[in-house]
Amino acid sequence: MNPVLLIAIPLLFAFLSIMNKKFARPLLLVALLLDVYLVFTISKGLYSIGGFSQYGINLLVDQYSLIGLMVVNVVFFLTVVTNCKEVKRLSTVLLVALAGVNGLLLTNDLFNLFVFLEIVGISAYLITSGNKRPLATFNYLVQGTVGSGLYLLGLILLYSMTGTLNMALILPTIVDKAIPLSNLALPFMLMFIGLGVEAKLLPFNSWVKGVLQNANALTSVLIAGVFATTIALTFGRLLSTVFVLGSISNIVLVILAVTMLAGEVAAFASKRIREVLLFSAIAQSGLIILLFANGLVIPAIMLIIANIVSKYILFTITGKMVDGTKTDEIESLQGVFSKNKLVGFAFTVASLSVIGLPLFFGFIVKLNILTSLFSQYQLFLSALILVVSLIEGTYFVKLLIKLWYSVGEVKTFKVDALVKVVTLIFALGLIVFGVYTKPLTDSLMTVPEEMMEAIAERGNF
Amino acid sequence: MIQYASIILIMLGLYGLLTNRNVIKIIISLNVFEIGLNLFIISVGYVDGGLAPILTGNSTSVLSFVDPLPHALVLTSIVIGVGTTALGLAFAKKIYAKYGTYEIDEMGVE
Repeated sequence: MNPVLLIAIPLLFAFLSIMNKKFARPLLLVALLLDVYLVFTISKGLYSIGGFSQYGINLLVDQYSLIGLMVVNVVFFLTVVTNCKEVKRLSTVLLVALAGVNGLLLTNDLFNLFVFLEIVGISAYLITSGNKRPLATFNYLVQGTVGSGLYLLGLILLYSMTGTLNMALILPTIVDKAIPLSNLALPFMLMFIGLGVEAKLLPFNSWVKGVLQNANALTSVLIAGVFATTIALTFGRLLSTVFVLGSISNIVLVILAVTMLAGEVAAFASKRIREVLLFSAIAQSGLIILLFANGLVIPAIMLIIANIVSKYILFTITGKMVDGTKTDEIESLQGVFSKNKLVGFAFTVASLSVIGLPLFFGFIVKLNILTSLFSQYQLFLSALILVVSLIEGTYFVKLLIKLWYSVGEVKTFKVDALVKVVTLIFALGLIVFGVYTKPLTDSLMTVPEEMMEAIAERGNF
Repeated sequence: MIQYASIILIMLGLYGLLTNRNVIKIIISLNVFEIGLNLFIISVGYVDGGLAPILTGNSTSVLSFVDPLPHALVLTSIVIGVGTTALGLAFAKKIYAKYGTYEIDEMGVE
């Protein structure tokens, strides 16, 4: 089965859904089901669109993009199913977003990546416009557009130096033509900043607060879960197979370390539950990109999977909670979980996993990260991650205690049975993978080699 | 030479984005930025005294053609730019409906 269907089907259905507004939601569900089915049946390989081999656009399906596609499509599907009511108005936008997300994960062409980045960006602006905060959305639009503009500038500079846009051919061409590292610093820095806007890295992420502060369950899971995962995976592929950081690697490391630290400190200082979660999300994305920048692909993918699952649980429950109680001040939410024990259990598991307590998947991830950093003698980064985990642990435990133990009157909120089931299954998944990780680590084992294979074979041409 | 002009345009656009506090002016700055970018992309394919890249019967060297790929890229980029401008204007309309002004400083929000 050709992976281009993963992009083409949602786009076709998006077109159809404009003509038949009534069928928009069924079409979205059908497209999502088809995509989930396709993801689990496509075979690995390099697919060139239109038969132009290295001159045209290629889609690359390897273990890395397969894992990304599986995680993202399944979570996207579950997000839409558990937020059926809010989806109605956004069906067409979500179809376009689905096409963009799949395209970002599959594409092997730098300019095509820019196009999908804009598609995902535009659908993200439209999804966040449901928050009734037009100024925050406008801010996001301006920053996103400038970011992708800078990415485009970097990519065109790279094209004028190497003469190719094929991601598998960039590195070999740089080596062949012996392009000096100092010339490459500008294009890679521009591309890094451009992607950094969408990946929520520190100086470029002032849109996040306005957008996620008032987001409902659907918006926050899509922006902080699905889109963040996709961008992180795309960024990871570029950092590990295209970018030659060289002289700018120190700047990049400082940006990422500061993102992580500042995110956690801001989360620690926040008094509102959605702010805590959004700052924690910023810190997590900083950590993910940091791992990719250090060449630790396997721990980074594990962290991405742990991240999207726990973000799904945390943001869905928070969204429903805020909808039901009409407040997101932690002080006035005291004891809410004592009336909703199942939901509270899922929330607790997810946050304990984010902290990295033993028995949960997050622990395995953190352990993996730290052992690989220590084996690289990256003592400073290991210390930083430990400090950051400590801050994270403090505010999450504080949050959990407030949410479980009541003083006085307790607010209640209603959660659909479906949401309960899905979040519980995800929470159990976090526990199961925290104890039994062999299948996951086995399937991740081959990822780095396969990523490098495409370059070594110059994309099989 | 055209590359300097386009870089100046990009910088002007960024300057406008950083200094303007009016929603419509921000959108215009964004457009200036994008136009500079698009000119820069075209300039990458420029060959001095080059020909249009069309295969004819005449024997011309491939090297005398201008690079057609940046032209194809810029077409896509222009279309995307139009899309974002339209969306930005739609949001500007929503902002005006909510606050009654285009000046960000007069809206009384952070």
